[in-house]
Amino acid sequence: MSAVASPARPGFSLPSLDKAAVWIVLAVLLLLAGLASDAFFKLNYLTNLVRQAAPVGIAAVGVTFVMLLRGVDLSVGAIVSMSAVVCALVMDGKPENLWLGVAAASACGAAIGLANGLVIAHGKVSAFIVTLGMSIVVYGLVQMGTGGTARGIVSPGFREVLNSRIFGNVLPVLVICLLAAVAIGIFLQSRTRFGRGVYLVGANPEAARLAGLPVTRITVVAYIVSGLFAGLGGLALLARTGVSGTNPGAGMEFDVLAAVVLGGTTFAGGRGSVGGTFAGVMVLFIALNLANVAGLPFAAQLTIKGLIIIAASAAHSWIGSRGGGRSQQ
Amino acid sequence: MPLLETHALTRRFPGVLALDHVDFAAESGEVHAVCGANGAGKSTLMNILSGTIHPTSGTIAIAGQPVAFASPADARNAGVAIVYQEFSSIPELTVADNIFLGREFRGRFGVVDRRAASRAAANLLGRFGIALSPDTPVGALGVADRQLVELARALATEARILILDEPTAVLSIAEQAKLFAVIRTLRQQSLLILYISHRLEEIFEIADKVSVMRDGALVATRDKAALISVELIRLMTGRDVSANAAPTPIDGQRRTVLSVSGLSEDGAVIDIRAGEIWGLAGLVGTGRTSIAHRIAGLRRRDGFSATLNGAPLPDDPAKALAAGVVYMTEDRKRDGIFGPLAVTGNATAASLGRFAPGGFLRLGRERAEAGEVLRGLRLVAASLDTPIGSLSGGNQQKVLFARALLARPKVLICDEPTRGVDVGAREEIYAVLRRLSAEGVAIILISSELNEVLALSHRIAVVRHGRVSAVMDNAGLDEHALLVAATGAGEAARPVVKLAGKGAIPAS
Repeated sequence: MSAVASPARPGFSLPSLDKAAVWIVLAVLLLLAGLASDAFFKLNYLTNLVRQAAPVGIAAVGVTFVMLLRGVDLSVGAIVSMSAVVCALVMDGKPENLWLGVAAASACGAAIGLANGLVIAHGKVSAFIVTLGMSIVVYGLVQMGTGGTARGIVSPGFREVLNSRIFGNVLPVLVICLLAAVAIGIFLQSRTRFGRGVYLVGANPEAARLAGLPVTRITVVAYIVSGLFAGLGGLALLARTGVSGTNPGAGMEFDVLAAVVLGGTTFAGGRGSVGGTFAGVMVLFIALNLANVAGLPFAAQLTIKGLIIIAASAAHSWIGSRGGGRSQQ
Repeated sequence: MPLLETHALTRRFPGVLALDHVDFAAESGEVHAVCGANGAGKSTLMNILSGTIHPTSGTIAIAGQPVAFASPADARNAGVAIVYQEFSSIPELTVADNIFLGREFRGRFGVVDRRAASRAAANLLGRFGIALSPDTPVGALGVADRQLVELARALATEARILILDEPTAVLSIAEQAKLFAVIRTLRQQSLLILYISHRLEEIFEIADKVSVMRDGALVATRDKAALISVELIRLMTGRDVSANAAPTPIDGQRRTVLSVSGLSEDGAVIDIRAGEIWGLAGLVGTGRTSIAHRIAGLRRRDGFSATLNGAPLPDDPAKALAAGVVYMTEDRKRDGIFGPLAVTGNATAASLGRFAPGGFLRLGRERAEAGEVLRGLRLVAASLDTPIGSLSGGNQQKVLFARALLARPKVLICDEPTRGVDVGAREEIYAVLRRLSAEGVAIILISSELNEVLALSHRIAVVRHGRVSAVMDNAGLDEHALLVAATGAGEAARPVVKLAGKGAIPAS
């Protein structure tokens, strides 16, 4: 070992295995997919695949923050449903309500996140239980709001704009939305005091308290971020499908969780990144698309999803135990 | 032939030679005490003998047969059992259940046969003269009896070698007598008892032989009969107990930085001055860390109040830190380091406000300032991006020092700053403390190592029962005088002395 690197020389080193793993998997999977069907190498197919991934991807950006914090958010599926339904109800088919609908849906997501965060941070209740309970509460509210049938109509222009393609009719607007969400997430994560706080609290909550960090506030804000991004994910879903349905986000929390874990953000906290989550989302959707291409039924795709969560967790904890958390005393 | 024998047993940790070619031998039917200062290698030796860690080189033989333990289960099967300081029994279960935990008696259909277990436990307890009912829930027992349950659990594995790691640490004198009676019974039944302790008087009471370790090596093995306490201290510390060179006194006209009232036994206000190193000596478990936590606002400050430069010091960790009171933990792993995070992020954790005006991080500035402080501390790391968890204990401690320095302390509270740190880094940490003192930072130094307190402190406060019982100028003090003060040895009823560090009280 040498003395500490000079700050003038940023000391480029190879990314560690746990950070690179998901990107390697993504590259290999893309290659395999291309061999299975040359559609995967067509720009149109690829951009469409990313477009499909937008709702899950946007929600996953937010969930990454609570997972970095050793938490979890199982209510994102319900928030996606609520956001889509609220947005459609508020818009009510009127063009002048477009932004009001978007704002209302986002606010709903953030509010549910705030409720999650307050109970978890102040009530010292496990995040798993709180967000699971919250997802049931929110599903119930959505059912009451819709009366059990699909109601509400989106404003004219909402779908059209979000589903259009720009730059010579190539890049779907939803893909840009996803990339923007990821960029904002990366900025929050690595350039803000909040993002640093999330890593510190997630890595060692007691040490964070000793270092004078506002642990409670950081926790609450992280759940708000998770709820807000889930709300935005709901908007993306609404734009893609056009109808709010009664429960469009059902089960989406598992896709989100699978993607985040695949991306290297483990349940242990303090490790992982939004960038990794994006790669995780892509791996998940390519895998599911491959299953689709191979003609596997929906049930089999569910099984694959579950296995991915388990295998990715195992792989990351294996990598972590070999290289990441080695200590000497 | 000795029952237990090691030859050239060596264990190397990165940067530390924890065990250095140890040739150790002990017979059955003896109580063999192993003593030495912190980091002398006692625990490493015992962990190897009980299969928890593997030796780097060297051999172990039991009754002349070479053995190699891949796991604690291997060691148990070979007849080595260890009783740790911490209790691992389950309070809700009975004595018998705990004794046979994991090895339950199975009746028909695999159902646990609790009556058979109870009979077997009664039998076992009777055999070793332990007066406990097998059907009592362990939670209803006192500390000493719970300790005996742990002991019985180890004995239930048909152990021939029993390792006791500071068994009396939590016991009163009466309880200790109970334990010693059991140990004597075990000795009669030809077991070998390896007894680790810091309490010299205990060693003189119970041990047949004494082995002394220092800096990873076995220094000597003696018959107790041929050993006097002064010699034992000399063996443990490697030198005659003598006065340390006290630090240069600071001039008495310095202004008071921290003022604490209600902490002193005699009700006096304690003033700590700028640039003063204020040693907090005392035995383990007397409440030194609790005092430190309460000054730093990490715990409710019941019973005393503090002012910093004349203003009341809030008892909230973030506010106390902002005011300039910085606490450095005694347990790096538990509440010090952020293991998976880079050195830089670890160093700036307590001063993020300065590096993130408006909430946005200035990464370049953060890196430059952290790098500068860390270079001053002579950190050895591959880069500033290395996860702190992969550094050695000494380097982790340097990063924590950097965190404290970046927080610009007015008062720095160091709780066991050299614990788990190798000798080289230790000297560097002393140099840092002296430099800070010269810069006018008031330092509260908590250490179990008396020579450390003596070498660094301007004044030394002795803590007993959670309060400061005496404050002494460090002039002409030696370990012995400090110990007398710490234990109240001058008083009629002298408590049992327990030291976690170098130095110990003579038995006479």
